[in-house]
Order: sequence, then structure tokens, then C-alpha cells
Amino acid sequence: MPVDVVTAELRERVRARLRERLKLHGASHAFEDPALFADVDRLLQSSIAEGDAGALLLPELLGDPDTWRLQTAMHYQSHRGTGAAVVVLFFKRRVLMPMFRWLFEYSRDNFERQRRVNQVLFACIQELAIENAALRKQLRASGAFEGR
Amino acid sequence: MKLAFVVQRYGPDIAGGSEIHCREIARRLSTRHAITVLTSCASDYVSWRNTFPPGETRDGDVRLLRFAVRQPRNLHAFADLSDEVFDGGAPRDRQEAWFAANGPDVPDLLDHLQQHGRTYDLVLFWTYRYSPSFFGVPIVKDRAVLLPTAEEDRAIDLDVLSEFFSLPAGYLFLTPEEQALVSSRAARALPHCSIIGMGLDPASPVNGRSLLDANGIPSEYVLYMGRVDRNKGCHTLLEHFHHYSWKFSTDDVALVLAGPAKMRVPTHTRIKALGYVSDELRRALLAHARVLVVPSPYESLSIALLEGWNYGVPAVVNARCAVLEGQVRRANGGLPYRSAQEFCEALAYLHEHPTERKSIGQQGLAYVDREYRWPVVIERIERLLTQIAERRA
Repeated sequence: MPVDVVTAELRERVRARLRERLKLHGASHAFEDPALFADVDRLLQSSIAEGDAGALLLPELLGDPDTWRLQTAMHYQSHRGTGAAVVVLFFKRRVLMPMFRWLFEYSRDNFERQRRVNQVLFACIQELAIENAALRKQLRASGAFEGR
Repeated sequence: MKLAFVVQRYGPDIAGGSEIHCREIARRLSTRHAITVLTSCASDYVSWRNTFPPGETRDGDVRLLRFAVRQPRNLHAFADLSDEVFDGGAPRDRQEAWFAANGPDVPDLLDHLQQHGRTYDLVLFWTYRYSPSFFGVPIVKDRAVLLPTAEEDRAIDLDVLSEFFSLPAGYLFLTPEEQALVSSRAARALPHCSIIGMGLDPASPVNGRSLLDANGIPSEYVLYMGRVDRNKGCHTLLEHFHHYSWKFSTDDVALVLAGPAKMRVPTHTRIKALGYVSDELRRALLAHARVLVVPSPYESLSIALLEGWNYGVPAVVNARCAVLEGQVRRANGGLPYRSAQEFCEALAYLHEHPTERKSIGQQGLAYVDREYRWPVVIERIERLLTQIAERRA
């Protein structure tokens, strides 16, 4: 027996329940249409599944990564002179950091979650832009669209 | 052929997917080829502290050369370096320093490859992420065969890998997903490749439930096998199962966790954490499980999944892991889930449809019979090694 069929059935059941719950909480009227909801769900799911950072256009367009990318690593710095800086950096690295590593890891894990959400959003925007561009192309080809 | 196998640890008591994979293949190929295993003296993969004496010994027909670890892993320094390189944009030397710090630090093993590497027809390396493979492959790249055991974790995104993955003369992969992952990171198209998986012997028969009763295992249970760890997705499994038992289930199925716990397991009447289990209990658990669940987000091959199918047990797996999703799809042997709701639906379906549950489990078993028996696996390895050796000749 093909498990793909069973999986599709189960996912349809989950999707129907989710749609009802969203409607109950005042979601868009567009979700009244189950077929449209299914299309939206499919599009977003594929964005999540194919959100490989290396395959996204938006990060390339944002420019210098230092200006927008979340930096989760701790960079040890000191403004003091060489001798004092060595002591300060040693103290930060070997005394303070081990003491507060739990706090650092808590923050870092949250930033990692944010990084993942950003990546998924980039992927969603890319999927929507692709769909939009493809539709414009179709409309232009059919002569029904005179926009840019 | 004269073959060298390079692996980070080796021995009958070493638990670890790639180490077991290496040893099983070494022992099986040693009846036809001269096999030398080059490994460290460590038994612990966290510290890499020397446990075994250095030098030459034997493991059946396999010649074993152990090399001393120069320095155990400095965990603080390694954690700092991991933060730095995984943050992205780290220069090449820092990324290489990460591979060195990941260990095991065995300079004599690399010296051996420098001096004697060319006396072997081929040198097989297990696991790209450890120092002996990362620094060993370039030394004998014309005869290197890499078994990367790559997963979609953060190490795979390091820039230095694009050049590294272009070096070996051949590849042995565990799954098609692993091959696709490594191909996507390599600077050039990969040379000779074969997907071999892992071999399994047919399941040994199990006598009744007496061992399960003695350990207080309920009659109906969903089984998780392996280390109980956040990295293995166990925290989400526990949340999903809570959700299932609280809001969803019409039965009283329990969740049995068979493996050492590296995280806190909440007290729950329907969750039973057994800790480390003997092989005998492991077999009994597999033979009587209703469903095997694999929640891991990162896998290069799930051996637990294959073991479950070996006993005809259907699986419920984390669909976010491409390897698990692919294994289940190819085998028709389980249901993938992407959320707590889908997890609950999958468990409920398998509970309410015993005939289909049995069919799905049997399909998994047929897949193992077809793809993962040792003679099939060894034949694939032999074919690839012969191809590479002939091309070199």
C-alpha cells in the first residue's frame, strides 16, 4: 500500500482542522475557500522545505552581511593597551564566559531561532516573487496586462 | 587489494554509527582483502583521551594500527571555536582549526599516511568532520574513498568543504539524500560514487513477552531507540506525545524510550524511560512494538529505522529530516510528520488501522531484504572499489 496516499489524507485532515481554527480566530475571509487555503499552505510549506540559505536571492541583494546578518558568536575585545588587554581578554574568556555560558547559550539559541525564521521569510518572499513574476509573464504573453 | 580504513575510534565495544559501520565492513571485507585499520587510541568521542595502547594488534583477520592522541579535546576552546566558525564568514585557517580541534589529534596517523599511504591500493575514510579524515584525505587523495556520513547540520556549510569534497577518488554514501547534500557542497561534480547504506542480518527470533513483562513494559507501546537527547529531537517527541495522549488518543499506548538519557525525561504515566538496554531486551522491544518513532532532525542514515523494519515494525518519522523522509518514502514503510498535529494523526491512523499498520511494517521489511542485507551492501562496495582501482591502474 502506498504510504504517500495515507500521508496526503492525514495532511488534508490536519489542514482542514487548522483552517477551521484560523477562521475561528478571525483569519482572512479568503480562507473560506478550502482549495485556496490548500494552495497557500502548499506554497508556504515548499518555502520552508526549500529554504536553503545558499539558494536565496534576497540576502545577496541586502549587501554587506555585517549590516544585517545576526552574529551569534561572542567576539572578545578590549580597548586597553596590549598587556592589560591580554589580562582582560583572558579574564573574559576563561573566567566570565564559563560562568555565564548558560546565559550566552540561551541568547544564542534564541538568535538561532530568529535566524531560521528570517531564512524562512526570505524563502517565502522569494517563492511569492517567483509566482508573481511568472503570472505577470503569462499575462503579458496573453496581452491582457499592460503594467510594468 | 590492500586497503586501509581510517576511522576515529575502533573496537567491539565502541558505540557510534560510523565506527560500527567501519568495523562491520572491515571484518566482512577482510576475508577477501588485506585490511589495515588506522585509528586512535581513544574510546571516548568527547575527550578523545587515550584508552587503548598504541601499536599493532588484530581484530580477527583485520590488522589494527592504533595511534596515540597527542592532546585530548579542549572542550571550552572547541565550543568557542564552534561559535566562531558556525557564525559564518570565518576565514579558511579558522575553519581548518575547527577540524583540528574536533580531533582526535593523531599526528602519527597522518605521518603513517605520508610515509606508507602509497603502499595501500585504496584508503577509505569514515566521517568527514573528524581530523584524521579532514587532514588525511589530501595526503592520499588519488586513492582516497570517503564515506562522509554527512548530515544537514552546521558543519556541512563550512566553506572549506567545497574544495575538500572535490579531493577523494571515490565516495560511498549511506543514502541518496546524503549524496545530494555532499554534491551540493562540492566545488566539482563528484567522481565514482555508490550508495551502500548499512547491512543488517535477518532479525533473530524472540521468545514471547516474558522479558518485557519483567521490565514492566506495557502491552501496547510506541518505541524510540537511541540516545535520549535534544539533538535527536527527543524534546519535541516528548511534547508531541504529551499532546497525543492528552488531546488525541483513544487508546492507552505508552512511549518507551530505549537508550541512555542525556536530557530530563518528564514523569508521565505513559512514558517509560529504560536507559541503556541489553541487546536481548532491545530485540524483544523491537519485536513487540506497535510503531517505531524517529524524531531526529539530522541523520545520514537511521539504523534504528532499518532495525525496526527488520522486525516488520512501521515507522513514524520527522519529515523535516530529508534522509528520514526519503527512507520512508522509498520503503513505503512509515508515515512522515511535520508537526504535532501530523504526528498525532499518524499515530492514531496506525492504531485504528491494524491491517494497514501490518502492511506498512511488512513493506519496510521487504525494503530491508531488498536493499540492506550484507551480501547486497558488500557487493556494492566491491564494485566501486574495483572501479576506482581499475581506473588508477
